[in-house]
Amino acid sequence: MSKKPALIFAALLIAACLVSATTVIPLSLEQLTRASTHVIEGKALETWSKWNDSHSFILTYTRFEVQRALKGQAPSTVVVHQLGGKVDGVTQKVSGVHLWNSGEKAVLFLRPGQIRDGSFVVTGLIQGNFQMMKSDKGDIRVSNGVPDASAYKVKRSQLTTFRGSAVTLQELESRVQKAAKQ
Amino acid sequence: MKLKWMTIAGPAVVLAILFYMSRPAKSYLFEGSGSGTTFTSTAWSPSSFPIQWSINPARSAAIVGNATVTNVIINSFATWEKAPNTALAVASPSTSTINNDQVPNGVNLVCFVCTGSSLDFSNTDGTLALTLTSSTSNGQITQADIFFNPSPGISGQPGCFVTDGVPAGGNPCPATTPATVPQDLQTVATHEIGHFFGLDHSVITRAVMYPFAPTELTTLSYDDVAAISFLNPKSTPDVATGTISGTVTNGASGVFGAHVFANSNSSADPYAALPNTFSPVRKSPIGTLTFPNGTYQISGLPPDSYVVIAEPLDGPVTNSNVDWASAWGQTSVQSNFTTRWH
Repeated sequence: MSKKPALIFAALLIAACLVSATTVIPLSLEQLTRASTHVIEGKALETWSKWNDSHSFILTYTRFEVQRALKGQAPSTVVVHQLGGKVDGVTQKVSGVHLWNSGEKAVLFLRPGQIRDGSFVVTGLIQGNFQMMKSDKGDIRVSNGVPDASAYKVKRSQLTTFRGSAVTLQELESRVQKAAKQ
Repeated sequence: MKLKWMTIAGPAVVLAILFYMSRPAKSYLFEGSGSGTTFTSTAWSPSSFPIQWSINPARSAAIVGNATVTNVIINSFATWEKAPNTALAVASPSTSTINNDQVPNGVNLVCFVCTGSSLDFSNTDGTLALTLTSSTSNGQITQADIFFNPSPGISGQPGCFVTDGVPAGGNPCPATTPATVPQDLQTVATHEIGHFFGLDHSVITRAVMYPFAPTELTTLSYDDVAAISFLNPKSTPDVATGTISGTVTNGASGVFGAHVFANSNSSADPYAALPNTFSPVRKSPIGTLTFPNGTYQISGLPPDSYVVIAEPLDGPVTNSNVDWASAWGQTSVQSNFTTRWH
């Protein structure tokens, strides 16, 4: 294993830390919490897709079993809708929007959708969807894919870096619950 | 043609290096769906060219700058249209007055003022823009619409798009407390137009299609060119390219979704010699993700000497940023291995 490839790889990682968002402005967990009426840990039970009323967009609905509510009073199940899906042989897709499969678990930051059918939307299009995965150490980590966002600590007037790919579920829960009380 | 095989113990990368071969069968991250060992990418049919698109030139209050939004979008399309090795054509835009989420079939709309319950834009959740593509069951794109959030921002911090570049150290956005970071409209548009043409996000940091980009990035990278020229190849390429292919294995099993990229280890810059009728191209690694059986092909590689690296997709870009796993009907790519290079 030569040093040169190692240096190249290290440089790539460093460069990756210097970026910010194009399609979204990265939000910290605290900002996501404030922008959401509900934050839940849930498991996808079923999904279905349909055209919107004007037959211009396909919307995919997913019913989640609420396993834990971190912010807001949530019923035992909530329905979340997203842009995209497949109906009548037509596939519509928004890059970055992950449509869930039954059985998938996620931490979701939600707000009521403008469609008045009682369903929610993911806060920040993609940012409020944290996929859950088990790390090599056995703890559960969550990621919304946003590499860098600043968390502002009011009392200390300090900015700290939030890395979506390196947050444990425990840390996320703690920060969300703290932010929800502020 | 040069052929070389290498194998290492443990999580292993097996490489077949084939330079200057004819067009590869498949590569990169495109929108689409996979089954077995075949990936069907979504793309515009050559008969769709020149693609007719429409723009509602009305500006939201979030847009500042002297350049017209129409010119910014035309320039952003031209960046892709003039990419080396690429056969793309877009027509001059027609003007539209659509300002909602009721876009008729077949209208490829760019809109800065569109609202509606299906778009569901918020002025507090950080969303800047989205591109919605429609495709048929055989993967042919039939429509693509780009919507910019009319009121981008986060809570208490309105955002803004700048049409004529963000001055270094300056902030042309309306003054707010705290001040928001201005967004270069052409940077956002160039990325979204990559989606318009069927590209998914790239894992290469310097690519326009990387999901997170610097404040200003309006030129394509080698990775972007490799991707767009694969979807829309010129019959006679401007620069000959080759392919690296192989398999990433962990023990006896293929690794699904490993990020494999080829990084030049020389100062060669084959695209630099092209005339300025082409878009300028920045040198970058060129990469892809592996198929479910661990195989991969990195195509569109200009003549050069490369180091090939296989790494888990565990940050900064993760499974959440790309549609690769769901395109194959899976929840996640594999990331339970360590980085290897050759």
